[in-house]
Amino acid sequence: MKAVEIAKAVKEARITAVEITAKAIERVRRVDSEVRALLTPLFERALEKAAEIDRKIENNQDPGPLAGVPVVVKDNLCMRGLKTTCGSRMLENWCPPYDASVIRFLEEAGAVILGKANMDEFAMGSSTENSAFFPTANPWDTERVPGGSSGGSAAAVACGYVPLALGSDTGGSIRQPAAFCGVYGLKPTYGLVSRFGLVAFASSLDQVGPFSRSVEDLALAMNVLSRPDPADATSSRRERPDYTACLGKEDLKGLKVGLVSEFENYPVQPEIREALAKVEAILRGAGAEFVSVSLPATIEAGLPCYYILAPAEASSNLARYDGVRYGISAKTENLMDLYMKTRGLGFGPEVKRRILTGTYVLSSGYYDAYYLVAQKARIRISREFREAFGRADLLLMPTTPTLPFRKGEHQDDPIQMYLSDVFTLPVNLAGLPGLSLNAGYSSSGLPVGVQFVGPKWGEETLLTAAEAVERVLGKPACALGGE
Amino acid sequence: MSLRKPNTPVIGLEIHVQMKTGSKLFCACSTDYIGAVPNTNVCPVCLGLPGSLPVVNRKAVEYAVRTALALGSRIGYSTRFHRKNYFYPDLPKAYQISQYDVPLAVGGQLPIGEGKDRKWIRITRLHLEEDAGKLVHSARDGRLGNSEYSLVDYNRGGVPLMEIVSEPELSTPCEAREFVSRLRQLVRFLGVSDGDMEKGSLRVDANISLTGPDGELGTKVEVKNMNSLRSLERALEFEIARQQECLARGERIRQETRHWDDGKGLTCGTRGKEEAHDYRYFPDPDLPPLVLSPDFVDDQRSLLPELPWDLKERLVMEHGLSLEDASVLTELPGIARYFEECLRKGATPLRAANWIRTEVLRVLNEKRISIEAFALSPEKLGQLLARIESGLVSTTLAKELFEKMVDENLDVDEALQKAGSPSGKVTGNDLRKMVKLVLDRERATVEEIKQGKDGKGKKRSYLCGLVMRESKGQADPAEVGKILEEILDR
Repeated sequence: MKAVEIAKAVKEARITAVEITAKAIERVRRVDSEVRALLTPLFERALEKAAEIDRKIENNQDPGPLAGVPVVVKDNLCMRGLKTTCGSRMLENWCPPYDASVIRFLEEAGAVILGKANMDEFAMGSSTENSAFFPTANPWDTERVPGGSSGGSAAAVACGYVPLALGSDTGGSIRQPAAFCGVYGLKPTYGLVSRFGLVAFASSLDQVGPFSRSVEDLALAMNVLSRPDPADATSSRRERPDYTACLGKEDLKGLKVGLVSEFENYPVQPEIREALAKVEAILRGAGAEFVSVSLPATIEAGLPCYYILAPAEASSNLARYDGVRYGISAKTENLMDLYMKTRGLGFGPEVKRRILTGTYVLSSGYYDAYYLVAQKARIRISREFREAFGRADLLLMPTTPTLPFRKGEHQDDPIQMYLSDVFTLPVNLAGLPGLSLNAGYSSSGLPVGVQFVGPKWGEETLLTAAEAVERVLGKPACALGGE
Repeated sequence: MSLRKPNTPVIGLEIHVQMKTGSKLFCACSTDYIGAVPNTNVCPVCLGLPGSLPVVNRKAVEYAVRTALALGSRIGYSTRFHRKNYFYPDLPKAYQISQYDVPLAVGGQLPIGEGKDRKWIRITRLHLEEDAGKLVHSARDGRLGNSEYSLVDYNRGGVPLMEIVSEPELSTPCEAREFVSRLRQLVRFLGVSDGDMEKGSLRVDANISLTGPDGELGTKVEVKNMNSLRSLERALEFEIARQQECLARGERIRQETRHWDDGKGLTCGTRGKEEAHDYRYFPDPDLPPLVLSPDFVDDQRSLLPELPWDLKERLVMEHGLSLEDASVLTELPGIARYFEECLRKGATPLRAANWIRTEVLRVLNEKRISIEAFALSPEKLGQLLARIESGLVSTTLAKELFEKMVDENLDVDEALQKAGSPSGKVTGNDLRKMVKLVLDRERATVEEIKQGKDGKGKKRSYLCGLVMRESKGQADPAEVGKILEEILDR
């Protein structure tokens, strides 16, 4: 059932939130031993919360727009008194004393949080294999990765545990797993959704966003998540629209869709090319026009720019894990050993690699050559996108260059892994919204995703276009025999 | 800048001023950490817990802008915050949010010295940053090296600081001391800080070098850990002598940070190798640029009080006070306000200045309280002094009344009543007898008055005072005056 339908049924007392929750739990119990999407199930708490929703219904109180909707959240979102590991040994048993703003927004809207989803350690990775605890499998082929870093959230939605999940996207961490798992994933405009309580990876790029299996649910989730937050100084104060108001538009006449000319010859798997063509045809059929746009600097500098700035910020954001206050703490005789041993034990290899890179690019003597140049490149990339959006209302692009790869395939080759983010990370650099949608399945049954990218605050256009595609292709299917 | 003579000390100061904003720089926790139970004024933000985010405290920006305006600095209308990255247990995020390439304000100046000796010391910059927590070492002497363990208290972590850096234009320890003292006076006048060095709300680091044979700048040494104006002066004196001896021995000065040991009266170098710090500064992505509107800055300008050095000048020029009186009265804003209130109630400036210096400050010292906690309001003191002025109360009696007014929180009339009876109880014939008694004792004075040697009436006042004292304040000075007149002019 869609989130919209669940909330309606619960509000009309046709079904109880407890029943919905119990069903979701049953589904997790049946399937998750194979997929391993959840790091920390919160079943008891979920049933209690669901009962609270039901009591509200009985007392004629409005439990909110997500009444009784089960939701899974990525394990880098803080929940008071509950383990928030970020997929890291470092925070294996850490329980924050506060809720992330988005967690509060969800629960105030009546959502029932079913569990914390697996992820690449500190959101660094594209396969969820960097989780310190266990990898998550792709529900469509458990030998393959679900993408990452929000792989657990994407898989949970693909398996039908929940109609909605939260992830975070720093360079593609929502959109890439959405494509790999065959669901919708929306990375909002930077500043649209509060980051307060999202454990930081790269603060200027991180953004929380939803996964779903229907465009309407995505819009509903945005209505709940997208709120100005005084606790986040980078949260935009602009007024938010009703994201469901842009739906139901069958005619796309006047909509200009941009195709990036530089991507035409970029090595992309044929299934993805075909999916792009299919989506193009659907949009044309609905009345959209196509224009060509050019993003030369983005193609040339996006990847290196990202892999300087994101690690630079990460090296500083992750410095606080020093064994003094919380998290694991090595038993040592002196302070320097405490730092070195704690961090040596607590972080996995990818996190260490990025901390080293980030420390290097910020060091005196290298700052100008790396960090500063990357900042300039970032400004150029933003400008290039802005110019492109002078010609187009949205861009149609691949989400990833490849279909879901096999577990272990890129584990020894970080560069290959980084390349899987080539289409997603420029969107973060420019702070733009990006929506990955399923556009069918390969002959081997793997989901194929494509991506819409909009101008700042252009979420509504993305949702309208995604709905036009959904109208033709239908909603994404549920994996592993779910409904 | 003019070339300096060889072997001249060149001193620049870096001063950290804690602002009394009530709440911390990036969260709502209280800044009142003195005496607080360790780690009680903390929250996810100032503890740097994962996921927490900073939001700038508006009041801290107001206070810093106000200080910058008072110093005549140029305000940066768009500034930003940087992260200064280093590991230490008192720094919970492992970076300090500070300002780096675009500080809140640059330039400006602060005056030291008086009259023709006045010297304006230029300010390099003023910026905002957060304070760190505090380490408490277990050893009895509080030293890290001798400690089995150390504890951390984050109550101070995140308290707003202004860092004010001077140009290296101070050339003696005494000048350095005065600079700090003037800055302390300023922040107190502005109400932005307690400026208390002993409590650490004003902390001074000094950079000091000696010029070479051709007046060129020498290698600078940073001296830290001076907890009072006195220790700042002593530390600089020691350091100058040490460097001079070093050079005299033909040694080179090592660029280093040295700690002042107040007990031993010397500076000591940090043991072991100097670690070259690379703070990896970069703009804090959690904080958008701090953009100040011209209106905001104008509002802060309109809130500036009369600056202490202007006030001092005015007291000298307008009220004819000595420079010394004016300096004492303007040292603390509360004293200056008290003084001016007294004038408003009819006290003359010289008498008010004198009374505040000798009586009020004495009581404050004895009771170890601030003027704000002083029971006697300036209105009441002003009334008392006005009575002296109009000859209604003798100085001697006034001093007695003052004690009563302070001890029992009375106004003048109440104090007179308390003194046993209302003013003028010794009256008529009793008083006349008393006057005669006094005059008998003071024949010489009486003689002089009769010879017309009392043009200004000082001798009559003196006699009047003696009578008042004799009456233990129970006489009406007006009546005393009348009786004196009758007898003397007879």
